[in-house]
Amino acid sequence: MTWHSRHDLPWLLAFVLPAFVIVVAVQFYPLAYSAVLSVQEWSLTESQAPLGFVGLDNFREELGDSTFQRSVRNSIVITGGAVILEMFLGVFLAYLTMGSSWRMRAVRTLLILPMVIAPVAAGTLWRILLNSRAGLVNHLLSAIGVQGPEWLASPDWALVSVIMLDTWQWTPFVLLVAGAAIASIPTDLLEVAAIDGASRWRTFLHVELPLLMPLLLLTLVFRMLESLLSLDSIYSLTFGGPGFSTYTMTFYIYTQGLRNFNFGAAAASSWIFMAFASLSIWLAFRFQRRDW
Amino acid sequence: MKKAMLILMLVALLLPAGALAQDMPHAGVEVVATYMQSGTYDVGAENIEEAFEEATGIELELVASPWAVLNQNHITDLTTGTGEFDVMSGEFWIASVYDKMLPLDDLVARDSFGGDYIPTIWQPGPSGYFDGQRIGIPYSADAYGIVYRTDIFEEAGVSADWETWDDYFAALDKLAMHLDGTDIAPSVFSWGASEQTPAIFLGMYDGYLVDADGNYALDEESALAALNQMASLLDYNPDGAAGLSIDESNAVFLTGNAATMICWVSFMRASAQNPDASLVVDNWAVAPFPGPGFPFLSAWNLFISEYSENPEAAWEWVKYYINPEQSTQRFVELGVGSPYLSTYEDPELMEAYSHDFPGMVANLSRAQSVPWVFEAFEIFFRNTSELVIGSINAEEALANTLAGWADVTVPPALVQSAAAQGQQQDM
Repeated sequence: MTWHSRHDLPWLLAFVLPAFVIVVAVQFYPLAYSAVLSVQEWSLTESQAPLGFVGLDNFREELGDSTFQRSVRNSIVITGGAVILEMFLGVFLAYLTMGSSWRMRAVRTLLILPMVIAPVAAGTLWRILLNSRAGLVNHLLSAIGVQGPEWLASPDWALVSVIMLDTWQWTPFVLLVAGAAIASIPTDLLEVAAIDGASRWRTFLHVELPLLMPLLLLTLVFRMLESLLSLDSIYSLTFGGPGFSTYTMTFYIYTQGLRNFNFGAAAASSWIFMAFASLSIWLAFRFQRRDW
Repeated sequence: MKKAMLILMLVALLLPAGALAQDMPHAGVEVVATYMQSGTYDVGAENIEEAFEEATGIELELVASPWAVLNQNHITDLTTGTGEFDVMSGEFWIASVYDKMLPLDDLVARDSFGGDYIPTIWQPGPSGYFDGQRIGIPYSADAYGIVYRTDIFEEAGVSADWETWDDYFAALDKLAMHLDGTDIAPSVFSWGASEQTPAIFLGMYDGYLVDADGNYALDEESALAALNQMASLLDYNPDGAAGLSIDESNAVFLTGNAATMICWVSFMRASAQNPDASLVVDNWAVAPFPGPGFPFLSAWNLFISEYSENPEAAWEWVKYYINPEQSTQRFVELGVGSPYLSTYEDPELMEAYSHDFPGMVANLSRAQSVPWVFEAFEIFFRNTSELVIGSINAEEALANTLAGWADVTVPPALVQSAAAQGQQQDM
């Protein structure tokens, strides 16, 4: 069947057009509108309509804003710290829980549970666990003679708390993907390595890891994006505090847009965030192209 | 004959309908009212919804949302002119849209609405005003206070009659000596709920919040003194206090681990007298909030949107929900602070709340709302929180706040509120 004959064109359009219109309306229109907003001065509490074109002023102001700069730094620390930990722990746990016995299946199921908890509930749960006076974490630490820190009252420990929460909740995702990837490695390759006298570590390093790498890098990209976009868990765990200690880019954008109603500034910071996230992903994909 | 009978029957049928129309002029009209989802104000509304609908024939829809969402909904609805809500629950946080609220002076005068409000609550500031006209009717009143352990104070020979923060600190010093070697801290506060720290600053600060030109500002000398004094208060708190949320701070007091607590009294009142939740039943009281500043006031108002298609029906709900009887009932059943003096003068309640009412009324009588929009508030509380955790000093906190405020416009309604409450710099 020649689907692109002139006779078929109206049918093709009839099928494609609704989806095309929906995609344009739902995805590209808001994106284009936010681009327009980013060069407008508009605070909803001052005016019902944009107050005029301001060029790149919003971008300049946001980039020069110390709170925004701090939120970028915090995002890098939280995402960097959490994602690296998740990747290592996820792969480690995937190896540790390999096998199809009922015990291993049960352990894997238990390990996956944090992933299905709503992030806002997870944040609240960890807020209770990390309470420096009555929380379980410090209670357990004191049982082994360690005085726990003030998790949510110290700027550094608050950042660590956010990283811990993200790691706890999303390591299971890496575990799932890595587990599936490990299971798909052809056993004959491992047998050849064993016959050649390769140790378990060298087999992992030179046979398994190169095979796992493309999927792990894809997982890394997914986790980076998710972690950068994370808002609800931080909202319920630290609310960006103490002070500005755990203010991330998404928290900053949320505050500018939906609490202060500074739409121009929020749109400009959203575009900066998008550029930042795109650059991170581009770097990850560049890394993926390496011949492992 | 048959025709006459029919006419008679018709008249008989229509008469009650006519009477009904006279009694229920808004029957069938729909009114949408918003409340904060808190288990208090919203539950109070739900409790009387059915009775209101039966009495007026008005179809009432209640929309309860968390605080942040509630404010977002109101501001979006009013700036876009959507008109989804007829009656809105709010405070000064939505002052940027006060110009979109219906003036209520005529309705208040027509129906002689008012009652025995605590005078400060009925004034501009706690009551929503725009351009000199009333737009809001207060239905709750809660002021920051200090609760204290009567048994410990008696043992230590300390009295809770402080007038200034210096007096309070002197009492804390005596308590610290008396409590040395115990697990009981002289004071506790929810330092980890950083949006609460301005309440202490406002109590310690003796100056303006808006300058003569109508911009956000602070008297720098007084502000520095207050910020430093606020930070020093942390020394009297238990270990880990810098991270305490409101609930956690309340728990410290209720488990007997603090001699005083700076707090919203309505957040702890019910638990404190519940033997299942408190170890301090009948051993606590409300003390005056020290000066030279003022106790931070929370006074929720009901507003009617200027986009409401049924403002008269909306006003019916306002009157039904806000009156001395309903307010007293909400206080007894849900712990919601009443804006009416009669609640605090009820002989039975006075006896039951003898530890609570005198201090509460004294604090409410001095309490003020603040002229801050959320952006200004956030800039301030984030920087005071940085000060509390030791990331910056008082000078930096003040400089950062003033720099941040330079880009924030004060809505006209809040300039008026500041002027009415003596919070604006003299011309």
